Amino acid sequence: MISNLAIAILNGVVWGLIMALIALGLNMIFGLLHIINMAHGALYMLGAVVAWYFIELTGSFWIALIIAPICVGAIGLIIERGLIRTIEDKPIITIICTFGLMLVVQQLVLMIFGGSPRRITPPIAYRFPIFDLQYPLMRIMIALISMGLMIGLWIFLKKTKYGLWMRAVVQDREMAVGLGIPVNKVYMWTFVLGSALAAFSGVLAAPIVSVEFMMGREVLIMAFIIVIVGGMGNLEGSVLAAIMISLIQGVGALFVPPSVATIFALAFMIIVLLIRPQGLFGE
Amino acid sequence: MPERNEIILKLKEVNKSFGGLLAVNRVNLSVGKGELRALIGPNGAGKTTLLNLINGTLPVSGGHIYFKGEEITNLSPHRVSHIGIARTLQITSLFSGLTVYENIWTAVQSRKKFFNPFIRALKWEDVKEKVESMLELTGFKEKAHLICSELSYGDQRILEMGIALSTEPTLLLLDEPTAGLNSQESMALVKKMRSMLSGQTIILVEHDMGVVMELADNISVLHYGAILAEGTPDIIRENEEVKKVYLGSEHA
Amino acid sequence: MLIQKGRSFGFILIFVLILLLLAVLPFFADLFYQTFLTELFVWILFAISFDLIFGYTGLLSFGQALFFGLGSYTVTILIRKFGLNTELSLLFSIIIPILFAWFVGYFSVKLSGIHFVIITIIFAIIGNIIGDTWTSLTGGTDGLTFSPPPFRLGFFQINLTDIKGNYYFVLVIVAISYLFLRRMVQSPLGKVFISIRENEERARLIGYNVQRYKLIAFVIAGGLSGLAGGLYSLTLKYATAGYLHWSVSGHAVVYTIVGGMGTLIGPALGAGIVMSLEHYLINFLQATDLVVGVALVFMVLVAPKGLVGLIQSRFKKGETSA
Repeated sequence: MISNLAIAILNGVVWGLIMALIALGLNMIFGLLHIINMAHGALYMLGAVVAWYFIELTGSFWIALIIAPICVGAIGLIIERGLIRTIEDKPIITIICTFGLMLVVQQLVLMIFGGSPRRITPPIAYRFPIFDLQYPLMRIMIALISMGLMIGLWIFLKKTKYGLWMRAVVQDREMAVGLGIPVNKVYMWTFVLGSALAAFSGVLAAPIVSVEFMMGREVLIMAFIIVIVGGMGNLEGSVLAAIMISLIQGVGALFVPPSVATIFALAFMIIVLLIRPQGLFGE
Repeated sequence: MPERNEIILKLKEVNKSFGGLLAVNRVNLSVGKGELRALIGPNGAGKTTLLNLINGTLPVSGGHIYFKGEEITNLSPHRVSHIGIARTLQITSLFSGLTVYENIWTAVQSRKKFFNPFIRALKWEDVKEKVESMLELTGFKEKAHLICSELSYGDQRILEMGIALSTEPTLLLLDEPTAGLNSQESMALVKKMRSMLSGQTIILVEHDMGVVMELADNISVLHYGAILAEGTPDIIRENEEVKKVYLGSEHA
Repeated sequence: MLIQKGRSFGFILIFVLILLLLAVLPFFADLFYQTFLTELFVWILFAISFDLIFGYTGLLSFGQALFFGLGSYTVTILIRKFGLNTELSLLFSIIIPILFAWFVGYFSVKLSGIHFVIITIIFAIIGNIIGDTWTSLTGGTDGLTFSPPPFRLGFFQINLTDIKGNYYFVLVIVAISYLFLRRMVQSPLGKVFISIRENEERARLIGYNVQRYKLIAFVIAGGLSGLAGGLYSLTLKYATAGYLHWSVSGHAVVYTIVGGMGTLIGPALGAGIVMSLEHYLINFLQATDLVVGVALVFMVLVAPKGLVGLIQSRFKKGETSA
């Protein structure tokens, strides 16, 4: 029993950290650009798919981990320049437009990659013992990489010039313009960064779930829920909410059927939305 | 002329704080029937917040608000509208995609109790008549078919008032009606306002001192959320403290 | 005044013409085409019910599939498990979703904007999960099949296993629903909805209980979505938990945007065009959603008011230049 619990907690934390990356990317795009990016789940999926191709090509998971987010970041750049720039101030239109984009990306992947799910064999196969069961080291690595990325993001935002610019634009766009900050560039790079983060999650998630063209759909909704519950624009909130929700689902699944656990997590979210619409950690 | 025997609006020790910031500080206010009370004060003095408290957009942190003797503290905005208080906003707030006719219609219709989903709205004679008369009053008969966003800014301010008046209010809360207008346009608006009003009690938040002196029966000066001084325009004009804080800072 | 009379006369004329056309069609079209049209009518109903809350009241809900699915399962379960007749089952396919819409709406309308979108999606997901997992009731994604008895009203009877009969049955109900909604959006109640869409705060300040009217719109839309679901199941003789997935709601969004939100003809047109496109393209492409996605992005960028908006601005241009 204890081993089951330990594993459920570990899994919850690992998956929570992966979701946290996606949510962070979404939150940056939303917190800064006020854009509701329905295509975010598709970017996550693209990360996994592109990684799959690179693994086929080079045989190395680690190379794919670096390259895939760069590719998806580039795609994000194209999306931002081509599409988002024209509609960024109209929220309902961006929701619908990015929804359409999501359909397009999913279908293109369906046509090129195919409909059947494919597996990525984890580069590390070692399993270490926990109580009387075994736990894959790969998942711990995934958690560590995810945490590393988040720390890197934190450093970037708090210590670098670009990070400072981003925070300035979130605070007060007009003032930022007045101070000579290249706001358009900031918007663009934020979207790129957000897309890359989604892709990172996709690559990290790929060894755990399988890679298929639909994998972004459910993840997208969860990411939105995490962002809202954690507080829009509140990055730390997203990380906490992501881990919390994953834990509730994961541990809950030990005692009740997994679908019921998910329903409880969702119902909890509804309550949070109603009582504190700014999110658990937002102001 | 204000009739001193009936107090229409009374604020008693009204407080509002946002976290640590005290926006409205123990305000006591009484406005008589038919009176036009101007509410002036520097930016951030709490004037709009006070209006928001009266019409229910914001809940008070303390104190009581009475309208015609009845307590209305924290009543929700739509209920406040129905007891006879109307509000215009500093930033024009109209049904921008709709025509002038439809804007007035929506406001006039709001007084009705039941909205029948099975009849054609524009056949509702009752409402139609009132809309026509409001169009007459506001002078928009010719422009009735125009979409709001096509109106000039000054016209939009007039329409904002017209919508408020269409709800047959006893008390009007006007938030800087001349905001964004130059002095010529402001005077034109004031003239128009005068022709549209018919004895309602009014609380007028304004920055334009010319307008205030022209229209006000009494003035309340708000500073850091508290009432600094109260009196007729002449009295306020001579008040040293007020001059220092508000009128003085304009000259400085 | 004359313009109003002219417009309604014009509408009645066109509406009756289209109805006549559709009524005569089964004598010329094959069974496959009749089935396609029957399904199209159902989706039109679903799309216009969505537009009531989206285009007219300004509430974006990706959760309408919940009510569609509820309607479809109500009919299916009542007929299959309880042997209830078709007339009452269809009635309940409106009533049950209305009750759920009341519950969901009661909480959802307390929120606005993106929060409203999210909370409606969450409710829909919960419904979807229940539908997927409560397989003893719903049959999960495999679904339930059933055979509806003929629909009886007084002396009138229509056999739903007959494709032509089914076609007329759905056509009449959807036409009535369309007229019902049309009257509603032109009514005083409709004016309230529109004012909420235009400027929620202003509507509140002039005395409209905005939450109450949002709820009313939401409940009506839920009931009609349920009716659409019920008709869908009666037509296909089948219900599946897949009907509860939020992508089903997505269809309504697409049809409405492409056709033109804030109108009733818009979603109907959008449904017709997009469904026909999908139907036609499926011969060439597996990925019909691709076209749908592209159409959506294109419309939103180029013509946010949809096809109807494009046509309307053409007319306006004509007016001013003449």
